[in-house]
Amino acid sequence: MPGLFPRRSNLFGTVVVAASLGAVGFASIGLGAVVVGETRRIDLGSKAAPGIDSIKTQYKRPATIPFPKENPYTPEKAALGKKLYFDTRLSVSMAQSCASCHSPGFGWGDGLAVGVGHGMAKLGRHSPTIVNAAWGAIFMWDGRLATLEEQALGPIEAAGEMNMPLDKLMGRLGSINEYKPLFAAAFPGEGMNARTLAKAIATYERTVVSERAPFDAWIEGNEKAISEEAKRGFAVFNGKAMCSACHEGWNFTNDGFQDIGLPSKDIGRGEFVPGVVKMQHAFKTPGLREIERRSPYMHDGSLDTLEAVVEHYDQGGVDRPSRSDLMKPLGLSAQEKADLVAFMKTLTSNLSPTAVPVLPR
Amino acid sequence: MHKTIAFALVVLTGFSAGALAANQMIYQKGRVFSSESVSIKKGDALTFVNDDSIPHNLMSATKGSEFNLGSQAPGTSTDVTFKEAGDIQVICAIHPRMKMMVKVTD
Repeated sequence: MPGLFPRRSNLFGTVVVAASLGAVGFASIGLGAVVVGETRRIDLGSKAAPGIDSIKTQYKRPATIPFPKENPYTPEKAALGKKLYFDTRLSVSMAQSCASCHSPGFGWGDGLAVGVGHGMAKLGRHSPTIVNAAWGAIFMWDGRLATLEEQALGPIEAAGEMNMPLDKLMGRLGSINEYKPLFAAAFPGEGMNARTLAKAIATYERTVVSERAPFDAWIEGNEKAISEEAKRGFAVFNGKAMCSACHEGWNFTNDGFQDIGLPSKDIGRGEFVPGVVKMQHAFKTPGLREIERRSPYMHDGSLDTLEAVVEHYDQGGVDRPSRSDLMKPLGLSAQEKADLVAFMKTLTSNLSPTAVPVLPR
Repeated sequence: MHKTIAFALVVLTGFSAGALAANQMIYQKGRVFSSESVSIKKGDALTFVNDDSIPHNLMSATKGSEFNLGSQAPGTSTDVTFKEAGDIQVICAIHPRMKMMVKVTD
């Protein structure tokens, strides 16, 4: 029936043209059950920028740690989780624990550019801190895990990391007599299994919270808690440099994904949402608490200092289709850059020492 | 002739404005949607308004009702018409806390 259906090449051409027009706002495009119409400009009105006191209220520390209703806090669970977190027997080699890559000594990271996994092989990305993970919305640099419980098991099982199959691990832990009563106390009637293991580790990780830093004292009204330089840096952070568009709230992250233009081949979040341009080379925005203890920086550990990080943002990074629309040359002065660094240093607390637990035998 | 064209334009503009006015509006401000869940009838549209200070990227991966608005700049709005019944989850690809459900009924 010639003429009833358009030829495939014509159809393809029509879709491309319609999509192109739709992208600039002149036409509608139909893609099956959902039709995306034109994009129009709207008037948001002009509002005055909020004053510094109003901005400061957005950074107030929360009073309590959130625990999910599926895995509420108990002291027994957190205590068991702490032992598991520091236990090297969770890795097949019995040489690595969670704390190997997320150590309290390095702001709950490892101080390396990229992590070191099974057999001392280098991993592809920087080990992120677990500080304030209780407030996390999504986990891993590429967001591939939805909960902290899933995150707790991921590195244990990963062949390149701790390389420990969970059934083998549960057998090993089951042979350690002192673990049995600890699991029984933490999970009455639930037994020792991968699920309770994950819940225990995640519960302990949620208790790892950044401590009060000079910034918190300033937010609460002590004007002498931070320097004038840092106060100016806070204004730049929330103003000209637009850092707060992503590093927002008391933990300085909205857990969003952005391509910040680092010259890396790693496509990050793009692996999981291949059809979304802005997710190519996009990585989760890390929080900034305890930042001074967490160098080197970025998902690939490619920047050694906070000064280098600020310089990267000032330059705007690699310009490519996936680069965040928020990334562009900022034109910061030398003073503004120094102020930003001074401000970020106020987010580091005098972390209390963490006692390594005595492990079950 | 000119009067006819002008009349036609007025009528079409009226229809267009009427259709726009009928759309439910979903706002994106402070990295949250204005509604966690909305119900619409099959064939109706939602107008997604980015009244935030930063770009969003709304999309749905719900099978059969996939769409992707791409980077939506602050101060813009986009209409999305849903032609099949079902529960469709809409997310912002950039901001994982932004999630909402569109219930499309027959």
